[in-house]
Amino acid sequence: MQTDSYANNPEWEDVQPIPQDDGENPLVPIAYSREYSEAMDYFRAVARVNEKSQRVLELTAHIIDMNPAHYTIWQYRQSLLDALKMDLNTELDFIDVLAEEKSKNYQIWHHRQVVVEKLGNGSREIAFINKAIEDDSKNYHAWSYRQWVVQAFNLWDNELSYVEDNLRIDIRNNSAWNHRYFVVFSRPDAKIDDSTVQREVEFSKRMIKIAPNNGSSWNYLLGVLRKCGQSVETLEPFLDELSKDNIQSPHLLSTKILLYEHAAQKQERSINDEALKLCDELASKYDPIRSKYWGYRKSQLQAISI
Amino acid sequence: MTLAFFCLGSLSLLGQLDSAVSEKDRKEWIDWIYAQQVLPDPEDLDKSRYTCGFKGSSWAGHSYDPQATSTKYDPNDTASIPNTYTALANLLLLGDDLSRVNTKAIATMLKHLQQEDGSYAPTYGSSETDIRFVFCACVISHILDDWSGVDIDRATAFIRNSQSYENAMGQSPEGEAHGGSTFCGVAALTLMGKLKEGLVDRDELIKWCLARQISGFQGRPNKKEDTCYCFWIGGALQNLGAFHLVNDANLRSFLMSTQTIRGGFGKDSESPPDVLHSYMGLATLSLMKEPGLTELDTALNIPIAGVNHLRKLRGHQ
Ligand SMILES: [Zn+2]
Repeated sequence: MQTDSYANNPEWEDVQPIPQDDGENPLVPIAYSREYSEAMDYFRAVARVNEKSQRVLELTAHIIDMNPAHYTIWQYRQSLLDALKMDLNTELDFIDVLAEEKSKNYQIWHHRQVVVEKLGNGSREIAFINKAIEDDSKNYHAWSYRQWVVQAFNLWDNELSYVEDNLRIDIRNNSAWNHRYFVVFSRPDAKIDDSTVQREVEFSKRMIKIAPNNGSSWNYLLGVLRKCGQSVETLEPFLDELSKDNIQSPHLLSTKILLYEHAAQKQERSINDEALKLCDELASKYDPIRSKYWGYRKSQLQAISI
Repeated sequence: MTLAFFCLGSLSLLGQLDSAVSEKDRKEWIDWIYAQQVLPDPEDLDKSRYTCGFKGSSWAGHSYDPQATSTKYDPNDTASIPNTYTALANLLLLGDDLSRVNTKAIATMLKHLQQEDGSYAPTYGSSETDIRFVFCACVISHILDDWSGVDIDRATAFIRNSQSYENAMGQSPEGEAHGGSTFCGVAALTLMGKLKEGLVDRDELIKWCLARQISGFQGRPNKKEDTCYCFWIGGALQNLGAFHLVNDANLRSFLMSTQTIRGGFGKDSESPPDVLHSYMGLATLSLMKEPGLTELDTALNIPIAGVNHLRKLRGHQ
């Protein structure tokens, strides 16, 4: 990383820096550091003549380190990789270091994908992503990049156990739940047969028993049933079992209401009073922050026509 | 450009924009915004059709010219969809008549940035496509009253496909459901008039949004509450006609806890204030009809003064 000023650097003496011309009263005044301004002045000058060289590559690294959000710099750097026929593994090394501090930045992940796509080899990626997820287990960029890598390089085989490792650490990690759904249902050669559905349903039930208040596992369970066209009514014995264990999770009560609603619609009769009572209990006792919602839900149920 | 929007937007919500900004600043800021417009290059129409619109700053060093009618094509000096959205919003808030906006060039740029699957790339040459830019493209088309840059059926299909098993939107298909993406998807459908076609299950989506309330709102299940998600999810609920189901007493007390003694809002009670969360905090209070704040259009995410100004420009009240 260069720290000397460019003006005193003999390597740059042939370049005439171009300052930013922002008029007299910009809406967004420049509040850049001197170091950043100078680097940008030189970048402007070389970009103007489309210079593709090692020194520009280093200049972009310097700028990215100060401001990783500038999309044009990244695009320029990508054009340099081609022009200089760079060893793309060196570029991955560069990103490895950068990501340690800036893994929340969009551009870094996007750049990584561009490089890996050019390279046509994803063998370093899972380890790279694992590290980011270890630092922040719900990093949205990391999980969505993981989906791309798994798909692009056909790396499905170990994903289910990776999800389970993550859920063992944090059963409430919704990103891991979402990844499970992706791994189970989006794999191109996946056979979604009865045994798969059964496995997923049983898995979520097990997780719900461990943490009945965890919305992630309830959402997953209901999502799987919907995806596979299974009726929520199949959940009745499970819900009863939870009730017998004195579990009073709002998710349990809300799912019970769903069952009553289905029954009423299917049998074309009005809603069982038990469902209305559950709405009242949720509103007053088990989920009071959503009392208005449960009131609204109650009126919805009462409106089911006979 | 986006930071400027949060500042101008906050002032507008506070009803202070006209008194806080002098006539001289107003004129010069409008000029500065126009100086960020990338226009077609008559000598290189072919390439410049991808690059028109507004950029975030004059970083590329071309000379300052708010009255330009063309821009010399430079592959490193391109507009972006998010900056075009916030530039237009800023112009409306500052009371400009949009007469220097090259509508046709912007619609052409949008058309070329829309992908096969209906999503948008933010800028030419980027493959970072997702639901945020679909939303921005819809706002831009609404403001310009020109939808020729949006294939509405494809954009609707993309948003529909972005709803996960949780019935809320992720950044793109298969992505985890997320408050920001959900705001973008619902607002885009609202602007396209496609709420019915684009939602997999409206009731379940409303339920998901309401379930995100702790006191403030979290952006995803089991995450911490954060001022910005109070607006993203509150705004989605407003567009779905269900904001009245929010627990406003709790929401208000959360927002008050994120306000700092120096003024402004942080993302939570421990964080320092910043312009994004300050705007989001005010915008949420505006949804709750807090006295002293003006209204806000939640489909466009623009304070009502800007939207009223647009209506006047378009000749309807
Ligand atoms: Zn936030």
